[in-house]
Amino acid sequence: MASSTTSNVYIHVIEDVINKVRDEFINNGGPGEGVLNELQGLWELKMMQAGAILGPIDRSATQKSGAGGPITPNPVHDLNVPYEGTEEYEPPTADLLVPPTPLQTPMQTPLPGTAQTPLPGMAQTPLPGTAPTPLPGSDSSSLYNIPTGGTPITPNEYTSTNENGVPEVKAGPGRPSPYMQPPSAWINQRPPLDVNVAYVEGREESERGAPHQPTTQDFFISSGKRKRDDLPPQYRAGGYIPQQDGAGDNISDEDNRSQNLKVVQGGNQQMFFQVGTMSSRIPQLDGPIPDPYDDVLSTPNIYNYQGVVNEDYNIVNTPMPNEMHAATPAPVQNDTGDDDDDEPLNEDDDDDLDDVDQGEDLNTTHLVLAQFDKVTRTKSRWKCTLKDGIMHINNKDILFNKATGEFDF
Amino acid sequence: MATFELYRRSTIGMCLTETLDQMVSSGVLSPELAIQVLIQFDKSMTEALESEVKSKVSIKGHLHTYRFCDNVWTFILQNAQLKSEEGQETVDSVKIVACDSKLLTQ
Repeated sequence: MASSTTSNVYIHVIEDVINKVRDEFINNGGPGEGVLNELQGLWELKMMQAGAILGPIDRSATQKSGAGGPITPNPVHDLNVPYEGTEEYEPPTADLLVPPTPLQTPMQTPLPGTAQTPLPGMAQTPLPGTAPTPLPGSDSSSLYNIPTGGTPITPNEYTSTNENGVPEVKAGPGRPSPYMQPPSAWINQRPPLDVNVAYVEGREESERGAPHQPTTQDFFISSGKRKRDDLPPQYRAGGYIPQQDGAGDNISDEDNRSQNLKVVQGGNQQMFFQVGTMSSRIPQLDGPIPDPYDDVLSTPNIYNYQGVVNEDYNIVNTPMPNEMHAATPAPVQNDTGDDDDDEPLNEDDDDDLDDVDQGEDLNTTHLVLAQFDKVTRTKSRWKCTLKDGIMHINNKDILFNKATGEFDF
Repeated sequence: MATFELYRRSTIGMCLTETLDQMVSSGVLSPELAIQVLIQFDKSMTEALESEVKSKVSIKGHLHTYRFCDNVWTFILQNAQLKSEEGQETVDSVKIVACDSKLLTQ
């Protein structure tokens, strides 16, 4: 379709072009005027078929409109796709729900066995000191201290559970279930039970926690991602060692693989504990509250400070950092959850791009070709002045001498 | 005289291009001559828009994408309203391609 004015302008242009190229066709061994007339005839025919020139054949152009229709719905579908993806995440959550229960059982059983060896060493010095200290330590300590404090906190809690006995343990399993539902997405992604355990720990912390604790968790999350990426396998081993109070139990139940490692680690752990006691004594002399706390939790730091002992423990130390990582995994899960969130967003972005591409494909249906005199922007408000333009909108050709555009970005 | 090849993407330009392709592929027309025809079209179309067209248009919409590359502005609008003397058109999305008018006067 074209307005009469547009049609007239098109006819004018065709005639102008034909007249001005006539010399080229006739002279200099050109193909001759017959070819020129053929050119004009074909051109005008196509224009009439396109509906750009009013003529006997008005509408073969309906095809274009038809093409335009289906295209627009497609982008909508694309947008839906990412959302579906998010929905997909949900069902796995139900699957996840199943694993947490097994976790609970392992927690209970392992505690007596594993707890026995480490507890005597660990519990004596660190527990009393650490249990009260961790919270204040995390509060007062710098960011660095906070993450370490966070990791230690979990073990402390476990130890406390050991000391206290059943009641706290019960609380642990009970808690995860309510929490499980929100995190379920991450859990689904990660089959490994270890992650779940860490996650539970984090939850416990948050629950017990004073207002400050949540912040600590956040730190863990951020730090946790990096650590986790760095050391996945080590993470397990490390997790076993430090978490012997609580997590170690879980590990023993969970991993058959690690049993051998556990034995070795157990030896290491004993070493640690001895060292820990040593270190704990020393750091206490140092006085800073966070230090004892660190000792229990982040024993590696202490080892580092104590150069002499370190050589023997360096071997041990390697696992210790793992422990640090182990504590972090809970945040890691959170991170994964974040990642999940990010992924769908990215998908959406892609979809948007796809939509744009589709729009570009549709250009023939809705297109404005013009020259710009000025384009200005104030914040998200765009204004532009165009001139000498051809619009092809809704299968209509509209020509304009001037156009003003106001867009909101 | 400088010209824009911009308008070759319009309906009339596409029809001419298709015609020329058809004639060149059939051997009736030499490619060189076809190019000359296109260049003449660029000139004639630009002149016709300047001299034969007096209408004004206003365009409003949500700017989905903007791009300025090689002195060409590209806007992709969503839910755009285009008002002209002949009426108002509303489209889900429209692409605006605009060359710098100052390049023609140089």
